[in-house]
Amino acid sequence: MSHLIIPAVPKAPASCLDLWRQKNDRLVHQARLARDTSPSLRRQRLAQDILEKFRGLLHTLQGLPAAVPALPLELTVTCNFIILRASLAQGFPEDLTQDIQRSLERVLETQNQLGPKLEQGLKELWNSVLHSSSLLPELLPALHCLASLQAALWLSTDHLGDLALLLQTLNGSQTEASENLLLLLKSWSSPAEMSDAPLTLQNASALRDVVLTAFAYRQGFQELITGNLPSALSSLHEAASGLCPQPMLVQVYTALGTCLRKMGSPQKALLYLTAALKVGTTWAPPLLEASRLYRQLGDTSAELESLKLLAEALSATHNPEAPKLLIEVDLLLPQPDPASPLHCGTQSQAKYLLASRCLQAGRAEEAAEHYLDLLALLLDGSEPRFSPPPSPSGPCMPELFLEAAAALIQAGRPQDALTVCEELLSRTSSLLPKMSWLQENVRKGTRKLPHCPLWVSATHLLQGQAWSQLKAPKEALSEFSQCLELLFQAVPKDKEQGSGSTYEDLYSCSDVALQQLRVAALISRGLEWVSSSQDTKALNDFLLSVQICPGNRDGSVYLLQTLKRLDRKNEATAFWREAQTHLLKEEAAWSVPLYLETYLSWLHPPNCETLLEEFQTSLLESHDL
Amino acid sequence: MAGAASRVHYLTDFCCPLGGPAAGRPRVLCHEPEVFLSTGREFVYVYDQEGGQLTAVFQFPDQVWHLQLLAPRRALYVLCARTGLYCLALDSLSRSLSQASEDKEDEDLPSPVIPVDPDACVLPDATLCAFTVVEDMLITLVQGPTQWKMQLFERPCPGEEPRPEGQIGEVELSTCTPPGGVPGKSAAPCFLPVLCCVLPPGSRALHGQPQGFECFMLEEALFGLLFGADATLLQSAVILCGLPDGQLCCVVLRALVTSRSAPGDPKALVKILHHLEEPVVFIGALRTEPQPEEAAGGLLPGEDVHSDCLVALGHQGRTLAIKASWNNSGNLVPELREYCLPGPVLCAVCDGDGHMYHSTPSDLCVVDLTRNGISWNLEKPDQAIGGLPSTLCPDSLNICSVVTLCVSSRAPTGGTELLALSAKGRLITCSLDLNSEEPGPARMTMANAGQKIKELLLDIGDVSERVSFLKKAVDQRNKALTSLNEAMNVSCALLSRQEGARPISCTTTIAWSRLELRDVLMATCVLENGSSFSLDQGWTLYIKVLTSSSALDLDGAGSTFTYTIPVDRLSPGSRREVTLPLGPSESGVLDLPVTVSCWLFYSLREVVSGALAPSDPLEIPYLEEYPLNLPKQEVVCLPLCKRTVDMLQCLRFPSLASSPAQASCLPGPVREHVETFLETCQAPHSDLAGPASLRAKYLPPSTASIRVSAELLRASLEDGHSGFSLCSATLQWLLAENVAVDVVRASALSSIQGVAPDGTDFHLIVREVAVTDLSPAGPIQAVEIQVESSSLADMCRAHHAIIRRMQTMITEQAAHGSSPPDLRMQYLHQIHANHQALLREVQTLRDQLCTEDEVSSYTAAQKLLQVYKQLRNPSLVLL
Repeated sequence: MSHLIIPAVPKAPASCLDLWRQKNDRLVHQARLARDTSPSLRRQRLAQDILEKFRGLLHTLQGLPAAVPALPLELTVTCNFIILRASLAQGFPEDLTQDIQRSLERVLETQNQLGPKLEQGLKELWNSVLHSSSLLPELLPALHCLASLQAALWLSTDHLGDLALLLQTLNGSQTEASENLLLLLKSWSSPAEMSDAPLTLQNASALRDVVLTAFAYRQGFQELITGNLPSALSSLHEAASGLCPQPMLVQVYTALGTCLRKMGSPQKALLYLTAALKVGTTWAPPLLEASRLYRQLGDTSAELESLKLLAEALSATHNPEAPKLLIEVDLLLPQPDPASPLHCGTQSQAKYLLASRCLQAGRAEEAAEHYLDLLALLLDGSEPRFSPPPSPSGPCMPELFLEAAAALIQAGRPQDALTVCEELLSRTSSLLPKMSWLQENVRKGTRKLPHCPLWVSATHLLQGQAWSQLKAPKEALSEFSQCLELLFQAVPKDKEQGSGSTYEDLYSCSDVALQQLRVAALISRGLEWVSSSQDTKALNDFLLSVQICPGNRDGSVYLLQTLKRLDRKNEATAFWREAQTHLLKEEAAWSVPLYLETYLSWLHPPNCETLLEEFQTSLLESHDL
Repeated sequence: MAGAASRVHYLTDFCCPLGGPAAGRPRVLCHEPEVFLSTGREFVYVYDQEGGQLTAVFQFPDQVWHLQLLAPRRALYVLCARTGLYCLALDSLSRSLSQASEDKEDEDLPSPVIPVDPDACVLPDATLCAFTVVEDMLITLVQGPTQWKMQLFERPCPGEEPRPEGQIGEVELSTCTPPGGVPGKSAAPCFLPVLCCVLPPGSRALHGQPQGFECFMLEEALFGLLFGADATLLQSAVILCGLPDGQLCCVVLRALVTSRSAPGDPKALVKILHHLEEPVVFIGALRTEPQPEEAAGGLLPGEDVHSDCLVALGHQGRTLAIKASWNNSGNLVPELREYCLPGPVLCAVCDGDGHMYHSTPSDLCVVDLTRNGISWNLEKPDQAIGGLPSTLCPDSLNICSVVTLCVSSRAPTGGTELLALSAKGRLITCSLDLNSEEPGPARMTMANAGQKIKELLLDIGDVSERVSFLKKAVDQRNKALTSLNEAMNVSCALLSRQEGARPISCTTTIAWSRLELRDVLMATCVLENGSSFSLDQGWTLYIKVLTSSSALDLDGAGSTFTYTIPVDRLSPGSRREVTLPLGPSESGVLDLPVTVSCWLFYSLREVVSGALAPSDPLEIPYLEEYPLNLPKQEVVCLPLCKRTVDMLQCLRFPSLASSPAQASCLPGPVREHVETFLETCQAPHSDLAGPASLRAKYLPPSTASIRVSAELLRASLEDGHSGFSLCSATLQWLLAENVAVDVVRASALSSIQGVAPDGTDFHLIVREVAVTDLSPAGPIQAVEIQVESSSLADMCRAHHAIIRRMQTMITEQAAHGSSPPDLRMQYLHQIHANHQALLREVQTLRDQLCTEDEVSSYTAAQKLLQVYKQLRNPSLVLL
């Protein structure tokens, strides 16, 4: 009957209720128009204005005693207000619960049920409202809309138990036994809206779809991380079949790819990754996943190609979509976690990943180019969006320099490596102990050297290697010696008596890295002595290296070689007997920086195994003799 | 002690917000001649120092919390509370401003208030709490529900639509408990976070930027030590952030690149340098040692100062200073020191010479962090290089309640110029010549001697003004205390001695005097200070005059007049006389008896409040800290005396020639001569309406009599009246408080003819009678006092006065224990019964008087008068 009263000419509304209703509808229209306003600032201001008007309208409606005829409109205005507010804030502000609570209390007020049950929580309120016997059918659409907002809120705040209870109540008793939220969400059907109902920004069924997709997505990811792969697959399929915005769809497809890769079906995984790339909004997650897939498959060139594309994809500043002034799936998802498998990081991270993978894969020329490119971008400073790859443990920039130098040496560009090392030392000269102090201590003969950051020693080591490659043994020897001097002064992290604990990262270093650096420096200097035919000096260094790290295969081999060359067979035999036990135990995986790993790889004697076998046999022979 | 010389110049005045500027966030910036200023309200003022006038006033939608000027681009960034960040292009604004002023030529407003265009808002965010602009970056700090969030944007330009992809990075800082309610709601946080930018040495960003304010360059060693090798290698700017919970943390700007899919990891990006444990209000940097270039040959103008010491200031004055130094083995180590400066700190600023200025409500202090005069280099070479002073000695500049400060960019030759906004909204410049501490008198040249002397005189003026102000306050308090002490003594003296002679007394005497052609009865109260204390400021003599109800007005309650007379300094032994008229009033009526009561009042408020309310609470804040709680009763009240003036005291006796003072007084009430004449002419016809005096001629006089036994009278009058007859003695006793008593005594009168205050005749006769019927033992000797007057009212009043005296006498005698003679009881009963009957008749007659008509009431009144007459002539005698 009421729709008959609505006059054709809006100038003369029949009642206040119609007037307010018209205002609501007008505001909804305005909000829909505002979505398409182009400059984001203006859109935001417009939306803010509309929000304030909704708030005003809500205050007007709630200023009157709750009455059944006005309730559908009041609930609709509340829903519109909450939708706009949450979408503007890109989240659910805490006080939104109060708005919901107030609406429910007003519904109960009309049922005369509120009196004794004041102070009840939201859960109980929903229960009372939905179980109320005298609930009018025309109230249901608006109430379901409010319920879907409540569901969204509880999902975003992880109140899944409350959410399940609410859904059970909404669905009636037939599915009460089910605890499966996904099922509950699917079986929730909201009542059809009446044609003359006040307009909403988003109706109950649309909101339900959003909540359903968001929940499936969340659950799928959680199961993927916890390793429950089959159920992750089904949840993710559910999410993919839902009404997903495109960027979300990319994520879902990529996650499906990850899931399938882990389940051992790379071909299916590749299909999903291709699908993700075809969606075409963001390319980074599928590319990163593809690189992992190819790495697993051992296809290095495809892997590096994916990484190159990833770096390019991340360099493009993608326009974040303007908020649609609606509640969307991403609003209900938790903040992205850096530990998530889909976390792509920044462009610099991708470039670093590419460069380091090249170096690890033995493509030194490519690696060197990538490292130089990365350093140039970082040091130039004109590109504000290019940041160093984040590393939670200590400074990473010096290591980046060192890796670049190592790549250059490996690529046969020692001169460039020297330049990189010089650059590193000059840029950090202020952090280094004052040279005057060094000289003073030397002059006094105290030999007490100040601590130096570990990467300073490492720089000297690489410089030495570069000089050695340039056939400049004098410079090389001097650099190695300086490196060793500094290294023997360094105190490992756990033995350091900390004074300024906040600032310790300049001087601290890990035990293993320090030990390996010492070994590397000693062997390098030894080799330098060998090449200048000073075998006794070389012997000293090799011996020291083996003492520092008993069982070091390279050191042992060089020592044995030198002893052999010097014709000190007895010593060689004695050493061999002693070392055999260590050598067998060796090859425990160390975690050393990449530049050191690369450096150590250079020190491997070219034909280590045959050499060792030769010793074995020659020793046995001599023993037999 | 460093004698910092300062010169203060007042520039202009700005309105201050309600609750003082401390409630808001005042800011002042200075760029060449222009000063940009916000007082904590929604206005930003642009003031031209050269022209000495306001050039523009911008109005924002809410309080302005922060300002920053990007000098080379002529852009002013303004943080508006609960709204967001605005950017004003100063050039285009000044153009539109000049146009506006051309348009409105007739208006003589020097600076029109320009409401800021909402389109100038480049970053709408209600939770924005702080920002800073560095190069092409904008760094903001927003307050989330649980955490502070630092965001990095591409710097939006004025009038430019910010691109949605403008955000570069974002990282969450430590957890915070939002002070002052939910952000976005009305409550403003008590303390805002402080942001500032630290640049590595040699970076380009600082050129053209106001130095030392929010942006400074640190020398390499300190920079590397604080922010690590990465920041050093990248030559990245670092944002330092001081939070209201006391945390001091830093974020390397180049590392702060994140995306929505890759949020910043606080562990990797945010480094906590220190925790001050009180709200951080200022972060700055100083150069404490001469720069190498400077030592070599003077700093080139425009060259950047590489600060070697970072300072952070907490609200309560806790100060952190960090320097880099080398330890014995040559390693770089941080040297951290915490100091305590006087707080609460309102604002602070560092200058380029190693000084930090910080303002508290009571003073502006300067702290010197350089190690002047300590030649560690030569004497103790083994000592660690560098080093911070072990204590800080703030030197006062004698300027109080500065709420915001900046170092003026118009560097005058030698010394620093500060621009400051005081709590009252005054913009002042303060020229400091801190080097004046070094040179001895020999270095003073003739040229600057005059200037120096002038400055010194100005300083002396400043200081002496301050001293005199403080002295005044102290004097006021001392005075109040002395006064309170005296008041205490006086109160004790008066209250402890209820009987006998009181140290401070008040006596009241009555006399007739002629005022403005009529006779007026005057009461003279004499306050005499017989104590050893003086009655000072705060004491008031309070006199209350209460008249009895008029006989004609049946239920009138009488009227009360009060007089308060301030006792302005009554030293011991002195007296003060106060004379007040008692009547008769204009209509000639004097309603006797009149009671005159005197009190001494002491007002605590008057004495103490002067000392409690200093003229400016900000200038002497310590008075505010210890408020004196006045008791609810703000007045001490001490009763002094009470005196009743009755008819007998007011009678005048013109017939007694020996009283010259009275002879001169004309009898009769005030009256116009013409009126008298007219009345005399009309006399034959004035039977009904004539005044009382005329009526008296035709009416028989009313009489009343009282009998007192002679024995009783003798007993009470025996002292002082020997040698007089009993009748005369009685008359003297009755008129004892009248001025005529001396004449009565001199001529031993036993009857006297006088005039009542209203001018009617009055006859008082005392004679001895013998009462026969009363006692079985024979006649009783008695004295009869008869009152005769043509005015019934006067007769009644006199009768009442006599009765009152008798009552007092009898109670006194009864105390002595005299026994009455035998009486004939039956006769007494008879008289009693008669009187009872008469009283009943009075009652019925009065009732009739109320109810009946005019004629019968007249007869009833006549009857009533007869009965009263009978009642007033009792046959009883007072024994």
